[in-house]
Amino acid sequence: MRVPYVDLAAQFKGNPDYRRAIHEILDSGQFVLGPAVAEFEGNFARLCGVARAVSVANGTDAIFLALKLRGVGPGDEVITVPNTFLATVGAIVSCGAFPRLVDVREDYNLDPALVRRAVNRKTKAIIPVHLTGNPAPMDEIMKIADEHGLAVVEDAAQAVDAALSGKKTGGLGHLGAFSLHPLKNLNTCGDGGVITTDDGGWADKLSRMRNHGLKDRNESEAFAYNFRLDSIKAAVANLQIPGIAGVTEARNRNARLYDEGLQGLAPRVVIPPRDPRVRHAFHTYVVQAERRDDLIAHLAAAHVETKIHYPIPVHLMEAARPYGYRRGDFPVAEAQAAKIVSLPVHQHLSEEQIGFVIETVRGFYSAL
Amino acid sequence: MKVPYSYLREQFADPQPILDALKEQLSRCEFTFGKELKEFEDRMAGYAGAKYCLGTSSGTVALSMLLKAAGVRPGDEVITVSQTFIATIGSIVAVGARPHYVDVLDDYTIDPSRIEEAVNSRTKAIMPVWYSGAPPRMEEIMEIAARRGLSVIEDSCCAIGGRIGKKHAGTFGAGGAFSVHPLKNLNVWGDGGFIVTDSKEIHDRVLLLRNHGLRTRDEVDVYGYNARLDTIQAIVGNYLFPSVDEITEKRIANAAAYDRAFSASAFQPFITLPPRRPHTRHVYHMYMFLAQQRDKLLARLIERGIEAKVHYPIPNHLQKASLDQRPPFGRGDLSRTEAQCQRLLTLPVHQHLSREQVEYTIGEVRKFYLE
Repeated sequence: MRVPYVDLAAQFKGNPDYRRAIHEILDSGQFVLGPAVAEFEGNFARLCGVARAVSVANGTDAIFLALKLRGVGPGDEVITVPNTFLATVGAIVSCGAFPRLVDVREDYNLDPALVRRAVNRKTKAIIPVHLTGNPAPMDEIMKIADEHGLAVVEDAAQAVDAALSGKKTGGLGHLGAFSLHPLKNLNTCGDGGVITTDDGGWADKLSRMRNHGLKDRNESEAFAYNFRLDSIKAAVANLQIPGIAGVTEARNRNARLYDEGLQGLAPRVVIPPRDPRVRHAFHTYVVQAERRDDLIAHLAAAHVETKIHYPIPVHLMEAARPYGYRRGDFPVAEAQAAKIVSLPVHQHLSEEQIGFVIETVRGFYSAL
Repeated sequence: MKVPYSYLREQFADPQPILDALKEQLSRCEFTFGKELKEFEDRMAGYAGAKYCLGTSSGTVALSMLLKAAGVRPGDEVITVSQTFIATIGSIVAVGARPHYVDVLDDYTIDPSRIEEAVNSRTKAIMPVWYSGAPPRMEEIMEIAARRGLSVIEDSCCAIGGRIGKKHAGTFGAGGAFSVHPLKNLNVWGDGGFIVTDSKEIHDRVLLLRNHGLRTRDEVDVYGYNARLDTIQAIVGNYLFPSVDEITEKRIANAAAYDRAFSASAFQPFITLPPRRPHTRHVYHMYMFLAQQRDKLLARLIERGIEAKVHYPIPNHLQKASLDQRPPFGRGDLSRTEAQCQRLLTLPVHQHLSREQVEYTIGEVRKFYLE
């Protein structure tokens, strides 16, 4: 049995809806901004339970623009985690700010106690990353942010349609940054991103910032960027919105099957704690595995594709050298990086395929 | 008769071949970095006669990445024009650098004689703009840059196919940036762009910068951007590529028809055409001239179904975005730029215009001034 890590063709191949959406754009000649973009933004805002959504060219731009909007610049510090896709830190660096990294907890999300300790007079913002589709501990983070007047930008690139205590990601902080990359749960046919907020004034400003700072065709009030989401990509992403709840359910079901099937393998396979207040929206299903690399090879031999998100924590990458971090600075994240493995969890997998993965993992450890 | 400015509906009236190519791509689902991107890059490098080409998500970010790759850092100055779309300035500001505005010639491109007086200890680069597709004085600019040790990054976003002699736009300095926005001469189905360069160093840096700085899937050398050209856009670009010279020649022919008509002595008190440089190829992304009573003429043309435009009524140095700067951006005397912005008018010049539409437009301009 083959268990591919991703199956984009299952989503896109021969689907007449995409063809129709693209034809509509072609017939209108409106390739940039326009009604398709506005419609998608309205639907995405409703999905996240926020007042406004502003689409941008990708998730990195979403974080960057949100930080810029809140005035993050050279000399400022932004707190985030080392166990994220490097674009989180890249966006901070692009603003000219210093990435103040803090360690994570057993569920891979940032540790609020360490956030509190990292705040200093240069701190301007916090970027909690909802890693794997699991909301970060936002109650504690918002409390710290309120006390110190900090901006909170959720890195929700992996966490569309997740919720904490009934409130959706993207509406938990001051601003939410999402990605529509083809590998994301809610995706489009190329790079794409969205910023969410309840503040209409901020949304208007973000809409200008992603379009050269233009107030109208001829006037700019602040130089900015070209970070627009193509109309075609907005139309394709819009088509995914009605189905996202089903996608989330299917992925969560697969994760539940793993949680149950891998139970009892601890300490060889460690499943992170699940918070009952959380509606996870599994983008990745990540466990910590003993002899991880051997397990991956064993699974690959059985045609089960796995990944590692991510083998090298950001602070140990060459790009982070100017910021003075060293091995040992974030012991939890570093220990996790050596043991984490992502099992296939996407919505096109059958129960049989998940069962096969579980069996293969169990087989690996029982043969040891 | 209607003379629309945009022609996208006509251009993509039969999208079937592109949709078939997209469908083929869908079976592979390589939405980022598919093989078509490499094909597009190879084509554009070959067409421009440059060693390297890299697709980007827009012309604006192409400029920013070239500046970064050329070593322009926060606080550095970049000499450029105010007579340009605001994205030129935005690309400089985005890397933390500061534009230093100098005035333009009668053809709306940078005045080389004003460049030297703008150079100071913070100056790092010159960014000439191929505005409307017109060639700047690249030979003189390169000579000044070499003498003063400055990098030259060409904003050739409007100028695919533009040439001076046989040399293509974007190939004179360290690198050139292009846009394939829907209204550009070679266009795709959304935002897009590319850079060309002969420098392996610049190529290697932009290659990293446009994909988060990633050297491999998991390791990053330098923080960058997500500024990739989508595979589906590269597919559209590849499809249109064989017609780029045909598109350009049609635009040039339309411009020549306008030039012939408006250079008649009767128009002299009313219309000032920019000088045309011999042995260059202006690709007419826009057809512009200075018009007396511009706003009245504009209103009349629009009333008569002709979608004329103004690019742009407010120059960059008078935008709030510039006026708010503390300390203010550097600037020379910009009186020519300001005077032009009062009178510049753009007529439809695209490849889907018929001879009748061009004649009708000329006729309406004639009626406005001469009857």
